Amino acid sequence: MSLGVSAEKTLQKLKDLQFTHVLMIPDSESRLLFEVLEKETSIELITPCREGESIAIAAGLWTGGSNPLIVIQNTGLMEAGDSLRGCGMGPRVPLRMMIGWRGYGGAMSNKLPIDSAYTYTEPLLNGWGIPFWHLMKDDDLEVMDKMNKTAEETSMPAAVITGYTFKE
Amino acid sequence: MIERMDMLKAIAEKRTDEVVVMTMTTTLQWPLVSKHDLDFDFLAFGMGHAADFAMGVALSQPKRKTIVFKGDGGLLMSLGSMITLSKYAPENMLIFLLENMCYEMVGGQEFSQSVNFEKIASGSGFEGGGRTGKGKIEKIDNLLELENSLPRLLTEPGPHFVIVPVQNNEELPPVNHSDHAERIVKLRTNLLKSD
Repeated sequence: MSLGVSAEKTLQKLKDLQFTHVLMIPDSESRLLFEVLEKETSIELITPCREGESIAIAAGLWTGGSNPLIVIQNTGLMEAGDSLRGCGMGPRVPLRMMIGWRGYGGAMSNKLPIDSAYTYTEPLLNGWGIPFWHLMKDDDLEVMDKMNKTAEETSMPAAVITGYTFKE
Repeated sequence: MIERMDMLKAIAEKRTDEVVVMTMTTTLQWPLVSKHDLDFDFLAFGMGHAADFAMGVALSQPKRKTIVFKGDGGLLMSLGSMITLSKYAPENMLIFLLENMCYEMVGGQEFSQSVNFEKIASGSGFEGGGRTGKGKIEKIDNLLELENSLPRLLTEPGPHFVIVPVQNNEELPPVNHSDHAERIVKLRTNLLKSD
């Protein structure tokens, strides 16, 4: 089983879970997912300028009755801390997130220097009390269901983290 | 320049079933003129992101106008939001930028007095922008013009970005905000039950 998740299979999972909007800023690892979402008409792709916007827009979408997913690189997650606190954990908004784990592949192959974006990702999520699951290959896609169900049941943010570049 | 309480009273008198998202000092004064199920106090939900949140609500509730009272200091905290609003804000969104050229909530400290919010909105592509290309930028600096414009602003397809230079000579009530989760669940419940 090759590492990395198929963008097309991920899109099908997002459709199965009935996401209405995806908030996403392109990055190198998620580029293929961005491209399939651009062509998809059943899910609206919104591309903000910075990740704090993504989270606030998603909270507004949820408040109005939509079902958004935030696709965000770990670096953007770090930038968006106040927005995630204020629009996610604080008011108990069940934000669903797919977090790109920049630096994971390099760290797993012992490539130095280790990207600090890799180092701080899991501790940051643990510190915020956000449950997360690893999404590293196609067979892992079921963790999206767990993430979605947990967010719903706890009325709190939940996440999957992707360690490899999306594949076709 | 408009006295802020006069502005808020004028809008409250004309407002019917629109969502109103407010932040910073407006959260202290709007409740003096409005007690409505669709009022939403965004204070402490994320610095600089009130209009982003409001855009999410407006996209989800296309049949209802969403109004946001945004502070100018807050806009500077997330200036990229102007670009995002200029591309995605829907027709049912009305943004009032309350321009007082300072961080009033925390003591009135001035930011750069050279900032031109009309040019920022224009340079962001708001005029002729938004989701359907009907974005409009306006500046309203007297109460009569505001009162005359409100019937149009509340009904005309937008999005609208309305800059209102304001001052405040009223004593501000103390900050007394309810629980965050309670606030957002109340708005969501009221929106979904009226769908």
